[in-house]
Amino acid sequence: MRILIIEDDRDAANYIRKGLKESGHVVDHAADGEEGLEMGRSSEYDVLVVDRMLPMLDGLSVVETLRDEGVSSPVLILSALGEVDHRVEGLKAGGDDYLVKPYAFAELLARIEALARRRDPEAVRTKLVVGDLEMDLLARKVVRGGEEILLQPREFRLLEFLMKHSGQVVTRTMLLEKVWDYHFDPQTNVIDVHISRLRSKIDKPFEDALLHTVRGAGYRLQA
Amino acid sequence: MTHRLPSFVRTTAFRLTLLSAALFALSSFLILAFVYAASAGAAISRTDAVISDELEAVERRYTDAGINGVNRYILQRTAGGSDFLYLLINPNGRLLSGNLNGVPVAEADPDGWLDFTYGRAPVSDADEDQSSRRARARLVEIGEGYSVFIGVDFENEDRLIGRLLRAILVASALVIALGIFSGVVVSRRFSRRLDAINTVSRSVKGGDITQRAPRNGSGDELDELSANFNAMLDRLEELMHRMRNVGDSIAHDLRSPLTRMRNRMEDALREGGNQQSRQAALEQAMADSDELLSVFNAILSISRIEAGERRDSFKVFDPAPLVADIGELYEPVCEDSGHSFGLQVEEGLKVRGDPNLVSQAMANMLDNAVKYTPESGAIQLRLRRHSDGRAEISVTDTGPGIAEADRLRATQRFVRLEKSRNQPGSGLGLSLVKAIADIHHAVLILDDGPGDVEQHGPGLRIAMIFPLVAKKA
Repeated sequence: MRILIIEDDRDAANYIRKGLKESGHVVDHAADGEEGLEMGRSSEYDVLVVDRMLPMLDGLSVVETLRDEGVSSPVLILSALGEVDHRVEGLKAGGDDYLVKPYAFAELLARIEALARRRDPEAVRTKLVVGDLEMDLLARKVVRGGEEILLQPREFRLLEFLMKHSGQVVTRTMLLEKVWDYHFDPQTNVIDVHISRLRSKIDKPFEDALLHTVRGAGYRLQA
Repeated sequence: MTHRLPSFVRTTAFRLTLLSAALFALSSFLILAFVYAASAGAAISRTDAVISDELEAVERRYTDAGINGVNRYILQRTAGGSDFLYLLINPNGRLLSGNLNGVPVAEADPDGWLDFTYGRAPVSDADEDQSSRRARARLVEIGEGYSVFIGVDFENEDRLIGRLLRAILVASALVIALGIFSGVVVSRRFSRRLDAINTVSRSVKGGDITQRAPRNGSGDELDELSANFNAMLDRLEELMHRMRNVGDSIAHDLRSPLTRMRNRMEDALREGGNQQSRQAALEQAMADSDELLSVFNAILSISRIEAGERRDSFKVFDPAPLVADIGELYEPVCEDSGHSFGLQVEEGLKVRGDPNLVSQAMANMLDNAVKYTPESGAIQLRLRRHSDGRAEISVTDTGPGIAEADRLRATQRFVRLEKSRNQPGSGLGLSLVKAIADIHHAVLILDDGPGDVEQHGPGLRIAMIFPLVAKKA
């Protein structure tokens, strides 16, 4: 993937760049808003990572301007401002996801990869398939190896999110935000417990495990 | 150098008083001017009427008895001293009779009216000047070339009107002077009280936040200003105090994990060691930094909540779905930790606030319960209606509870009661709950739980009681 990082903090930018390169991505860096806008305009990126507070031109304005000019690449906004209102502002400006500093690199990577995937015309899909696991979004049915699996509504949504991002790492915070819509970190392992319940339904009765734990990062659903 | 006016002149109070004095003076002047015009005008028209009447009498005499009759009449009238001034003039211009020395030199209008002055011998009141008295008269030819001159002395009226005019001017001057004087007095008084407030704000600006504006208890605007000003200073002082506390607490609570982390890394560097031990040291350091981050995030959240930033986004909502959702999120955790989980939700209640924060408070209360309840305990999340209609969200556990003496401290920042020192977490969970309760004006109650279960302690019940939502009129 080609990723553009617009971030004025050189150390942070270098750290992200290094990490993303190690994960096999091509990374460009802009150190202020105007440079970022110029680079975002002139070439096609798969994902833009934009810091909210930038010299010359603030991050939200960069995103707004790019959107006005028809640039549709997904944008991840980084910010030290984490209140719900701030998130809403970020998403209104045209951001696709919002990550609050400080964050773990695994979290950033997982979100960037989730964003790149989002560009696929997923909205029209009514069926999700990962290995022999199938989800029918219209009939709200889950089948694995021909056997129907009964899920609670929340389990269904959890699995749906994991299947939509199959092959990618999904962090606990992402699950809490996207499946439960909570923007705080519980002190207990609530998500792990939900995952293990889901695992006992979709994996346990079968030979191959689909739902993997990625140490220090989160989970990955993969055949 | 500009010339500076006395300080009270520059005050608003003085200017306002002066303005009102000026307006008052102007209006009283207008009223008095009207009185003057009315009385002076009336005096003149009365004079004219009197003269015309007398002239008619003279003309009747002329018709009855000819010019001699008129002459007799005038002699008769002037003999005993008269208020009227008479002259009878023959066709040659000679004076036949009358009480004036000659026809006054004055221009008569076409009808024969003329205003003039004349002198006369002092009569009784010697103090008044008699050499130039004002009068009005009419000169008319009555027949055969004879003219008659009839006038009235209105010097007395004129003097009266003059005195009236002077009185009006003096009164106006007095009103203005009084206005300025009271302006000075009022503004001095007003300024003194404002000065007191200004002095306080200057010393606060200078760093002494303990100063307070004096109050006189009258409840007037200035008193109210002082009260509000003081309330603002109270709030500022509290915030500053709190900030200092937070600073101390942050330093205290972040220093030890930071030191621990640093020592661990230093050890790993010094000992060199094998790959495995270095890996372990790194992982430990990462876990330490994660804990630091969670403390840090909690501090930020609490500060933001306490700053009241989110009060703007408050809305009225039914807490039932919120409670049910959090219950659904936590039920598996409770059960996996070996506890039974109970959820009781009453519907149709109203709470005014931020649903996200309320959810977060419940999550913290449940985190707390899960962490401290020994295995095979029971945890209950409950939303119920108080008899007065208030909504109460509570979490009850069968853990050790919190001793009554510690309850107040438990919701303060960074207080981790000794027993729980070895538990992970920021130690800020209950402080966050407290901050969220406070911003919602909710009462936070810490109480014993259901009683002693297997000697673990009395349990703990944390309840947030939200204020009633006022019905919109």
